[in-house]
Amino acid sequence: MRVYIPSALRKWSGGRDIIELQPVSTPMTAAEVIELVACEYPGLRDRVLNEQGELRRHVNLFIDGENARFLGGLAALVGAESEMWIHPALSGG
Amino acid sequence: MTLTKLTPTSGDLLLMVGTVKGAFIFLSNGARETFRMSGPHFPGQSVWSAAFIAPTRIVVGNKSEHWGAMVSRSDDFAASWTEPTEGNVKFPAGCGVSLNSIWTLETATALGPDVVLAGVDPAALFRSDDRAETFRLNDALFNHADRPKWNPGFGGLCLHSILVHPADPRRLYIAISSGGIYYSDDGGDSWNSCVNGLRVHPDVPGATLCPHKLRFDAENPSCMYLQNHPGIYRTNNEGRAWVSIESGLPSDFGFPLVTHPRRGGTLYTFPLTSDEFRVPPGGIPRVWRSRDSGASWEPLGRGLPSSEGFFTVLRDAFSVDSLEPAGLYFGTRGGQLYGSSDEGENWRAIAEFLPPILCVKAAVID
Repeated sequence: MRVYIPSALRKWSGGRDIIELQPVSTPMTAAEVIELVACEYPGLRDRVLNEQGELRRHVNLFIDGENARFLGGLAALVGAESEMWIHPALSGG
Repeated sequence: MTLTKLTPTSGDLLLMVGTVKGAFIFLSNGARETFRMSGPHFPGQSVWSAAFIAPTRIVVGNKSEHWGAMVSRSDDFAASWTEPTEGNVKFPAGCGVSLNSIWTLETATALGPDVVLAGVDPAALFRSDDRAETFRLNDALFNHADRPKWNPGFGGLCLHSILVHPADPRRLYIAISSGGIYYSDDGGDSWNSCVNGLRVHPDVPGATLCPHKLRFDAENPSCMYLQNHPGIYRTNNEGRAWVSIESGLPSDFGFPLVTHPRRGGTLYTFPLTSDEFRVPPGGIPRVWRSRDSGASWEPLGRGLPSSEGFFTVLRDAFSVDSLEPAGLYFGTRGGQLYGSSDEGENWRAIAEFLPPILCVKAAVID
């Protein structure tokens, strides 16, 4: 399982753009993947999720190329060979 | 970027300016004739609030539209910043509320040397006892029975004003837009409304009260001044009753209000035409001053545009320093930063092309 970190968050991933995970059991939910990543990189959690554990409004997760919002959101499943991308949404002015 | 190294010395003036695209830090000596600028800091983020914690710490309430809001700090006058690894202003998990932005940061040395209070959107009060590194929610206000009646305005549901009585630090005041004014006599363990005499918007029956900015009188903390929506008010009795002091002003509408740092009865406002048309009356921006607690007013505009000035000043974008004579500073949504080093008699632009300005905070280095 691979998690891709956007450049804006690499300050909180030790500079890494890809975090390789080898979870004990799969599939995991997207929320569980974020929590697992946050065990090693705690600065990532609060920047991706708000304090209620919800995906921030202008953050998108893509799992194997599909937007997780259409796969069940944070309940979307991430398999052992899956790739999950964290993306800032295109927004603002 | 202009990341000038700022090396202030005792008596220098620090201006902390938050904009929709980052923070800008200005430094001048006590004469306040020239300013050096450092910034933008947190480029691309909105900076809603700032405070100076003596002797060297600057803190800001910065917000990324993507990654959330937090309080960040610098201990070297903005040469470097520390963002908290995890969010340091958070509502409790499970309460269903999440932080939008940090509207105000106020040092509260009357409560302790390291105490900083934060007012946020959605309306809540947080307290730090470690110089703004970690914060905890004030439960009594968060659970107040009135909360369901509070309504967000255009800018959100913000707690924007925090006052700590200088002689009795268990006496606190906060103001919420739109929610009202509340005081505590027990250091924040309980809160009571104090809005007697204020009027709601005449076109919105049933609307909640919408204070815009609340300040203490410099010499008498039983006296406070309020820029309301609508109206400008004074209380002489710790908020038990409010009386209108808007007679003599060109409008009862506006956002900021500041008081003189030492002289009781002296306050400044920046009137806007109306709720519906939020620009200076006639396109002539003027600061209005009263030196008799609001009994009379005079316009101050020397150095400000004499026409075609259609900018707005937000509630936290007007600040006063503690030097002699007192300096006044305001930022506009057009990105101009104006300053006066003679109590408002003469004004000049310190910066003209910043992003829209959200907050201005002045501090004098010890």
